[in-house]
Amino acid sequence: MPNLMESRALGWINRIPAVVDTVLAVCDDLLERMGGNRLRDLPTAVLLLLPSLGLLGVFGLLPLLLAVYLSLFTGKGVNMQFAGLANYTRALSSEEFWSSLLNTFYYALGTIVGAFLISFVIASVLFRLARGRGFFRTVYFLPYITSVVAAATIWRVLLHPYAGPVNVLLTYVGVSPENLPRWLLEPKGVLHLLTNGAFPENWGPSLALCCVILFDIWHSSGFMIVILLAGLTAIPRELEEAAVIDGAGWYARNRYVIVPLISPTIFFLLIMSVIKAFQAFNSFYALTGDGRGPYDSTQNMTVYIFTNLYVYQRLGYGAAVAVLLAVAIVILTLVQWRYVGRKVHYE
Amino acid sequence: MSTRIVLAVLCMVSVMISCTGSKDFKPIESGKVLFWDRQTTDTGDLLRAIISDFNSAYPGLPIEAQYSGGYSEINRKVSASIQARTLPAMAVGYQSMTVEYVLAGAVVELDPFVQDVEIGLTQQELDDFFPAFLEMNRYPDFENKMYSFPFCKSVLLMYFNKNVLKEAGIDHPPATWDEFLAQCRQIKATTGKFAYAANIDASTIDGMIFSMGGEVTQGRTTLFDSEPAKEVFKLLETLAKEQLAYHIPPESYDDRDAFAQDRIAFFFRSSSHRAYVDRLMENSRDRWGMARIPQKDPNNPRTVLYGPNVSIFKTTLEQQRRAWEFVKYFTSRDVTVRWALGTGYLPVRKSAAEDPRMKSFWEEWEYNRAAFDCLPFAVSEPNLGGWQEVRDLIEKAETAVFTGKQSAEEAAISLKKSADQVLKDFAM
Amino acid sequence: MIRRYVMYLFLLCGASITTFPFAWMIGTAFKTYKEAATPSLQLFPSEWQWHNLVETFQAAPFGTYFKNSFFVAFVVTTSVVLTSMMAGYAFARLDFPGRKQAFAVVLATVMVPFEVTLIPNFLIVNRLGWYDTYAALIVPWCTNAFYIFLVRQAFMGLPSDYFDAAKIDGCGHLRFLVWIAGPLVKPILVTVGLFAFLGSYNSLVWPLVVTGTDRMRVVQVGLTVFSGAEGVQFNLLMCASAIVIAPTVVLYFVAQKYFSEGLVGTGLKG
Repeated sequence: MPNLMESRALGWINRIPAVVDTVLAVCDDLLERMGGNRLRDLPTAVLLLLPSLGLLGVFGLLPLLLAVYLSLFTGKGVNMQFAGLANYTRALSSEEFWSSLLNTFYYALGTIVGAFLISFVIASVLFRLARGRGFFRTVYFLPYITSVVAAATIWRVLLHPYAGPVNVLLTYVGVSPENLPRWLLEPKGVLHLLTNGAFPENWGPSLALCCVILFDIWHSSGFMIVILLAGLTAIPRELEEAAVIDGAGWYARNRYVIVPLISPTIFFLLIMSVIKAFQAFNSFYALTGDGRGPYDSTQNMTVYIFTNLYVYQRLGYGAAVAVLLAVAIVILTLVQWRYVGRKVHYE
Repeated sequence: MSTRIVLAVLCMVSVMISCTGSKDFKPIESGKVLFWDRQTTDTGDLLRAIISDFNSAYPGLPIEAQYSGGYSEINRKVSASIQARTLPAMAVGYQSMTVEYVLAGAVVELDPFVQDVEIGLTQQELDDFFPAFLEMNRYPDFENKMYSFPFCKSVLLMYFNKNVLKEAGIDHPPATWDEFLAQCRQIKATTGKFAYAANIDASTIDGMIFSMGGEVTQGRTTLFDSEPAKEVFKLLETLAKEQLAYHIPPESYDDRDAFAQDRIAFFFRSSSHRAYVDRLMENSRDRWGMARIPQKDPNNPRTVLYGPNVSIFKTTLEQQRRAWEFVKYFTSRDVTVRWALGTGYLPVRKSAAEDPRMKSFWEEWEYNRAAFDCLPFAVSEPNLGGWQEVRDLIEKAETAVFTGKQSAEEAAISLKKSADQVLKDFAM
Repeated sequence: MIRRYVMYLFLLCGASITTFPFAWMIGTAFKTYKEAATPSLQLFPSEWQWHNLVETFQAAPFGTYFKNSFFVAFVVTTSVVLTSMMAGYAFARLDFPGRKQAFAVVLATVMVPFEVTLIPNFLIVNRLGWYDTYAALIVPWCTNAFYIFLVRQAFMGLPSDYFDAAKIDGCGHLRFLVWIAGPLVKPILVTVGLFAFLGSYNSLVWPLVVTGTDRMRVVQVGLTVFSGAEGVQFNLLMCASAIVIAPTVVLYFVAQKYFSEGLVGTGLKG
């Protein structure tokens, strides 16, 4: 290993002007001396973290604190009044708050599981591909590149209940006009529709919400595929070949060799996907027109916050719901870190 | 460590307080009178041309229109700017948005300007406005003061497709709602087509209630459980159940498209859609027409008036005066006709009827007059605080009826209950 | 052999699902207004309306918009790559008091959605006097907690022998970061750069809120001019969308070859 490092290091060092290297070396020296023996790394850390922490402090943390501060007030503009925790108690006792939270859960579950499975299969197939890898990789990334608005416009046309190609196709197959699904316009539960009414209408996610979930699986898989490919490429080929020689089948190979090896990648994606899914907004807004969908059946937490903040101008209340959402995300992240993080395989 | 954190938090809080403390609004640019607007392409060019005419005819601080996205983006921008205490001189918006801005203390009352001897409007000029245009800009929550002025005005109209009507053996558009339902049934029976594509929209529902002879509110309580409102929901329920009508995705214009392809006979939309329909119909004007919406009592017709207004913000007095002078100029007979002909919105002055340009426009096609003829009996919607939320509830109820989630009766009653609650909560 | 064909068949099926909307977009871009509004299974126009391109470009000052978008995205991308490399390294490899707390603060900034921080951020930018300037478009986005996290993971995945060896050679942290560790995680840095570019290039609401004049507007704002209060000019909107997307497709195609090649030793580690 050190040999490899040395050759690389030398290769690079030979190519760059020695001046830069000298400057860096002097800085290193200076920084290490400033830290003394006990806090040797501290000055370097301050230097490296300063830009990020400074920016995140002003444009990340300060807005967050402002939101917390705002959540303690009611009223508007110059007429804001301190209200203590009133906004919080109001949110927690509101039916809409809880139904939005439930929709957020359905959505997170659906998109994360769906996108993971699809991305994993596609990434592992792409990874083994001898020819056309670049082409397919670009093609599968296309949806992620498109802006959500443009992509959603197209989906809305495809899923149009009366003139959309999907339902036109269903008519050809012989579905009668009364039974054509209303897709993004259907507030009834998908379980209710699939079982011909065995479940109550308001059980489970609505068909409209399922359409949003499908859209986001389609739209965000590209992101996951790229990161999973990076993880897969890092696996030593010998390990997989050894498994093949041992006669392991496709499932066994994935379950016992590949998944454990890329579990750090999967773990990272999981944490990120949960945060992103809980903050999803653009696709909801673009697909349903106002984010709330038919009979509010696609309203998730961020849409609920957005509506309160910008449509009804309830700044304090919207901020309070946002803080509650943040708390929910923090709890979920900590739980994952604890319980899923433990199962992650390290070399 | 902990003292440092406390210090940091204190420092941040002081920044916040300095952000939200002062009560004055500063103009974003003191050398210009900024106007946040949503017009783009041709209509944007027209607006800019009118502004530059104004700037050269009446020297003073220059007016400048800035495109700021759609109405909801403008709303977001204004809200953020109110928090930041810097505002443009004026912005377009619907009444529900204006209510919010007034509550935040950011909007100038217009009555003093209107009554000003020097730059105000004379009684004669005021009488020349259609009364509804001025009424809709008075706000009952704020002692009926005027906080906005008409900008892009239109009325709810019925668009009918002559080809489909002919196919079904009908030779005239319906005048009453009973006739409307009968024609829908006839169209379905003879052609198998849907008769009507519904755009889920609170204003349309309000207009239908007006045309049924009802009212939407009385004071701060709603009348959605009244007979006329229930009749509207029952009509929609019948249309949906008998597959005579379907509803289109929100924020889409599929009704117009279906109309242009002779797939439906009717849709109800603002009169400002005329130009788009004309384009879709490729100017074959014998294929379609416009009329006032069906009525309960054709001798006593009513429809709904809508469209955004302009509000002037509490920046400097100089900016306010200049903005008002422009608003006044914009609604003068000459300019309102120019704007109407260029955009498809309605002129706000009665005397526009005598303008030769207007007359020749009406002679061009018999239906060009339809919208203007509605003005004497057009009614504006309530502009109460909290109405934006009520609008959402109305649309939710309409969706429930169309998708069969609620019966007409249930929808009307639960709508009344929830809407009243919203209006009550808002008052506190 | 058959397995390989099945694999390609499977990939092609998937590819048709991901590319269909694109084909549809390009087809619609060159239809007439009426044809674009007519729902049909016909993907391409009966007659290609090339003049839609001209009309699109005339609808808004796209030249300025593109210039601004590229400039903003370029600066943002460079800064994000630099800042996340620096911070990621510090969190992964340096030993200093308060490391865990500082990392928690970084992660805390992603817990509240953009829609909520919009108003506070606008207040701050306004307070700094940055309204309608490049600074407002660029500075708040010059670092990103997600990418710091991603790069940290990559640095943590590097075998520690590398660092130990460097230390023996008398190589300090800055030199090690610039000459050895940085190049080793290049694929991740390219990924970060790509996502940062896309994020900046595709943003709409923030640029719209913090700018007032055409001088400072970006391409995504240009896309909104085709949606009026009374309707959407579908064909022109799709035409503009296709034009706006094109540079990002090219960029991705160029960048993607860095993702897989030479990724040895950069496995993500939690």
